[in-house]
Amino acid sequence: MKVILELFGASRDLSDKDFLEFNIEKKISIKDFKKKIITYVDENFKGNKNYKKIIETSSFCSQDNNIISENYNITKDQKIGIIPPIGGG
Amino acid sequence: MMLHTKVIDIKKEKIEVKKAENFISSSKFGASLIFKGTVRNTNDNKKVTGITYDSHDAMVIKSFEEIYNEVDQKLKIKDKAVYIEHVKGYLNLGEISIIIAVACPHRAEAYILSKYIIEEIKKRSPIWKKEHYENEKSEWLKGNPIQVN
Repeated sequence: MKVILELFGASRDLSDKDFLEFNIEKKISIKDFKKKIITYVDENFKGNKNYKKIIETSSFCSQDNNIISENYNITKDQKIGIIPPIGGG
Repeated sequence: MMLHTKVIDIKKEKIEVKKAENFISSSKFGASLIFKGTVRNTNDNKKVTGITYDSHDAMVIKSFEEIYNEVDQKLKIKDKAVYIEHVKGYLNLGEISIIIAVACPHRAEAYILSKYIIEEIKKRSPIWKKEHYENEKSEWLKGNPIQVN
């Protein structure tokens, strides 16, 4: 299945596009999806520690704009948003 | 419901205090406050030249609505008008990033309401800042993990 990770805030530095695309074989929890993103950083940014920290401290949101827990399972093609630590205003 | 919320894409439109004033204006309210957040020229001893704001628009609007809706119960402020706009995109020094305009029958509740809204936005609305500095470097600010109510 295809999971589109929509990028926001500091995570935008992970790509020139607004998203990253992952091909994943079977259902995956957010906890394990995070590991996939960290692997992406290892492979594409030589394990950049700052980028890894961003991922580790981020929350994630579903397509219907709800924050989802680490136990949430992705079971089909969908968009997931990464929500790094916030600070607007 | 007397609520207006919007994320302003600064490349396409302006953020305007006059619109906020018009929205909250009513003879039933004896107190109105307009809070403006603007881009400051220093942060952490660094000279700032501008800020790029990023936003998850749908979640930001949702958070604004949730904050408004919970005010009845949490603050016991039922009669009110609230106008919230936040910018996304690049802003120069002094430009407005956020307007929170509130109107209530009395001043005490207007002050409480205005402060409550900005503090909750800081905790709950997915908005990010990238500061630009005089040395032409830039940096996403660290922020805090989002809180969900």
